[in-house]
Amino acid sequence: MVTKTSADVIVVGTGVVGVVIAEQLIDAGHSVLMIEAGPRVTRAEVVENWRNAPLGVKGDTSVAYPPRPWAPHPTGADKPEDAYLQFTGPDPYDQTFIRYAGGSTWHWAGTSWRLTPEDMRLHSLYGVGRDWAFDYDTLEPYYVRTEHKLGISGPSDRALQWPQTGARSAPYLMPSFPFSPGEQKFTEVVKTLGYTNIPVAQARNSGMPYDGRPACCANNNCVPVCPVAAKYDAETSLGRLERKGVTLLVDSVVYKVETNAQNKIEAVHFYDQHKESHRITGKLFVLACNGLENPKLLLMSANDRNPNGVANSSDQVGRNMMDHPARTLTVTTKEPFWSGLGPVVNSGIMETSQGAFRSEHAGAYFRYNNFARNRFVTFAALKKGLVGKALDEEIRRMTACTADIVAAHEVLPDPNNRLTLSAKKDWLGLPKPSIHYDVGEYVRKSAETYSLPIGKQIAAAMGAIDVKITPKFSNSKHIMGGTIMGKDASNSVVDVDCRAHDHENLFIPGGGAMASTACGNSTITMTALAIKAADAIVAQMRGA
Amino acid sequence: MTSFKTFLLAAPFAFVAFAPTISLAQDFPADLVEKGRYLATASDCVACHTAKGGKPMAGGLAIDSPVGTIMSTNITPSKETGIGNYTEAQFSDAVRKGVRADGANLYPAMPYTAYSFMSDADVHAMYAYFMKGVAPVEAKNAETSLPFPMNIRASMIGWNLLFRNNTPLSDDPKQSAEWNRGRYLAEGAAHCATCHTPRGAFMQEKASLNLSGAQVGPWYAPDITSDKVTGIGSWSQDELVTYLKTGRLAGKAQAAGSMGEAITHSFQHLTDADLKAIATYVESVPSAHPAAAATGATRFDQGKPVNELAALRGKGFDNGMKGAHSGAQIFSANCASCHGFNGQGTADGYYPSIFHNSATAGSNASNLIATILYGVERETESGHVFMPPFGDQPNALTQLDNVEVASLANYILKDYGNSKLTVTAHDVGVIREGGPKSDIVTLARIGMGAGALVVLALIAMAVILPRRGRAGADKANA
Repeated sequence: MVTKTSADVIVVGTGVVGVVIAEQLIDAGHSVLMIEAGPRVTRAEVVENWRNAPLGVKGDTSVAYPPRPWAPHPTGADKPEDAYLQFTGPDPYDQTFIRYAGGSTWHWAGTSWRLTPEDMRLHSLYGVGRDWAFDYDTLEPYYVRTEHKLGISGPSDRALQWPQTGARSAPYLMPSFPFSPGEQKFTEVVKTLGYTNIPVAQARNSGMPYDGRPACCANNNCVPVCPVAAKYDAETSLGRLERKGVTLLVDSVVYKVETNAQNKIEAVHFYDQHKESHRITGKLFVLACNGLENPKLLLMSANDRNPNGVANSSDQVGRNMMDHPARTLTVTTKEPFWSGLGPVVNSGIMETSQGAFRSEHAGAYFRYNNFARNRFVTFAALKKGLVGKALDEEIRRMTACTADIVAAHEVLPDPNNRLTLSAKKDWLGLPKPSIHYDVGEYVRKSAETYSLPIGKQIAAAMGAIDVKITPKFSNSKHIMGGTIMGKDASNSVVDVDCRAHDHENLFIPGGGAMASTACGNSTITMTALAIKAADAIVAQMRGA
Repeated sequence: MTSFKTFLLAAPFAFVAFAPTISLAQDFPADLVEKGRYLATASDCVACHTAKGGKPMAGGLAIDSPVGTIMSTNITPSKETGIGNYTEAQFSDAVRKGVRADGANLYPAMPYTAYSFMSDADVHAMYAYFMKGVAPVEAKNAETSLPFPMNIRASMIGWNLLFRNNTPLSDDPKQSAEWNRGRYLAEGAAHCATCHTPRGAFMQEKASLNLSGAQVGPWYAPDITSDKVTGIGSWSQDELVTYLKTGRLAGKAQAAGSMGEAITHSFQHLTDADLKAIATYVESVPSAHPAAAATGATRFDQGKPVNELAALRGKGFDNGMKGAHSGAQIFSANCASCHGFNGQGTADGYYPSIFHNSATAGSNASNLIATILYGVERETESGHVFMPPFGDQPNALTQLDNVEVASLANYILKDYGNSKLTVTAHDVGVIREGGPKSDIVTLARIGMGAGALVVLALIAMAVILPRRGRAGADKANA
């Protein structure tokens, strides 16, 4: 039952972007109402969903987060024709995200690479892609605030920090995590090739509690859920937000953004789980659904004044869909490496993402995956027909002597990589998202001439007796670009503060605004943009 | 420990009899100030007289008692809002006699009954420290309003006549110097008895049951006599010193609640010689139960590694919560990620085992329930120990309701802890509300004519059974 139908600020979505903004606004004295499509569940339930799942389905993290009928999200179980996400291009845009209160940080790894100054000036420096509407130094203070808000640990040694070319105005709050045995060995191996494997900055409590959350105790279960909330996820903020007075509506699927005669946003409309429609009004609206649900909602909201969709006079809503196309090398070694101690992503080679070559092809970030390997190798051991002690020994050998090296690439914004509304409908009768996606020549060329050759070189140096490379690019679940930022309202959707060019009281912060992807994970940049937007919203509300 | 030490220096209904005497502008040598700092640390003044996130000794900590919330007071040397105008005699009377500068009586939640054992020389040093070693903070004392008849401070005059010690402790020549030093610290500054000694009808400490265990709000301060079964007679001196220094003894016990604060703010900062002395004395305190002598399992060696996972896996969360194994599933979901699927903890003991653990095998289930609801927190040189709470705090890892906590507690008690105990949802509710309550307020109001003793008992009760956590937490999160 909906008891409250209005607030100063309406935030659609309860992921990291939504909660960071909501908290700043409630702290500034504004009433805030948050609307979440999915359910609110306890961490205990998610943990047990995962532990109860048989090994055979654990390749799909969504088994811990079964979608509600009214709030579908991608799962591994669906046939392509029935899936929530529909694809039309040469490459799939096969993202994983969850429509639950707390959003997809529930199952992120916590990886928190900043962009480099160069990453934000691709067009000026390399003649490709787009430049950001501001530079690294403008973003830097927001990175610091993000690191404090989320509790990000990282190295204190400047030589091991990222980026090297951009300044840091504050140290990390907590030390970086120790490397697992496999990471230590990997670090030594790549050093012989001239590469530095550096600690990942990560939103995870390292050796101490932070923000009322305990220290990491190394369950190696960051994906699909940190069972002790040592890793930041937005769910950990929800209780605090409610105590502060934020109203939280769950199981409420926003399907329309309503504009008024001044073409300002007047209201949003949502369906509850009984398919009944409700209308929520406010002074200012924040869409924080994610880079895929935001453009879908804007396109669904087309009206007479905004025939291409809300915020879409530029026709850029849903275009420039980006991700980090990845190729994985599964390496079998003679000597044991042993990954799995500590967080699932804990180190990486970032320097390979930078260079003059970016005028020709994408850079790449190499990650030694630190997931414990037993989960992945058991089926191969079973297929060999082994039983009893022999089976145990083979699982142990392959757990120790296999490793995944992932090469994650940057991708350029391409207006043809486009999200549109499918003719297929979901349970509520709302159109499913359809995505045309092609990773592009820029990425393919990198894999052919740059990243995979380096990957093979690393594998050889590791003493590989077998290397299997995924034949196609996989998705990294980093949704970017669909509501791209720019100074020019004719070819971008939002301004420097993630405010819609078309509607002064509509903010669309997050990954969708990112004008380049670089190679590192996007959450820290999404959150920095959210905090920047929150500053702008507070200023705008003061003037209102 | 902290719970008992609430000291109401400022009354909301100030009947100020005379203006505070102006203290002499006095200079104290640095070593005297330093000695006073050490004694104030041993006395753990800071734990109660500092609000969460507030300035040291500036008061303002909300302490919830069964009859109302008490605010701790500013004991910095601010002349306007603290104790900067106290003479040494006034300071001494407040600390050792429970009488503040304006003549009003303090409630014995401030452990002046223990501090009364401290020597003139040590009180002199403490005075030097509070005047010169503490930074003055201008912070007005927050109002404390307890309901009638709790507000009759004068009643404490009678209580003091009956129960207050009025002379510093003198050495027992038959005992070693170490023992005498230990007794002086344990009975005085460290005020062990304030929590660990059961109370009589008027809430006075029962000397014959010294240190044999008592309820402190939601927590139970266990028997720390030399009894080999019910006490800590099975511990060596080194083990007790290790416990006081680090807040834990692997495979046996760890400090939480007020004891966690006592380790954080007080014990870990004492010299090894003083900790050894305290251990020597405490381990000499006779058992309160001579009849039960030396047989049976202690609270440190019960339970075994075991799990019920095979009975619940694969059936789904909702079904798991309905069945007989809900406690096992709650354990798997919320506890096992740190404490292990068998409750075995980690090899280094940083995450303690759930079996062989005094928290799960005490004489009652208070500490088990309180640990689940309130978590564990203490900071020592070896790091910041933090187990998140599972109560209704905003940062609770999972907010478990009373039925769920009871299921979990019974699962833990059955295999890991004291299998003779069971817990009901009602028991959990009592601990969630801050511990066993008394209906003495009502009784007192009905029976006002029946005499002052009821009032007396009531007043003692209110300050001696304060519940610190909830009011403090709520305030901090408001």
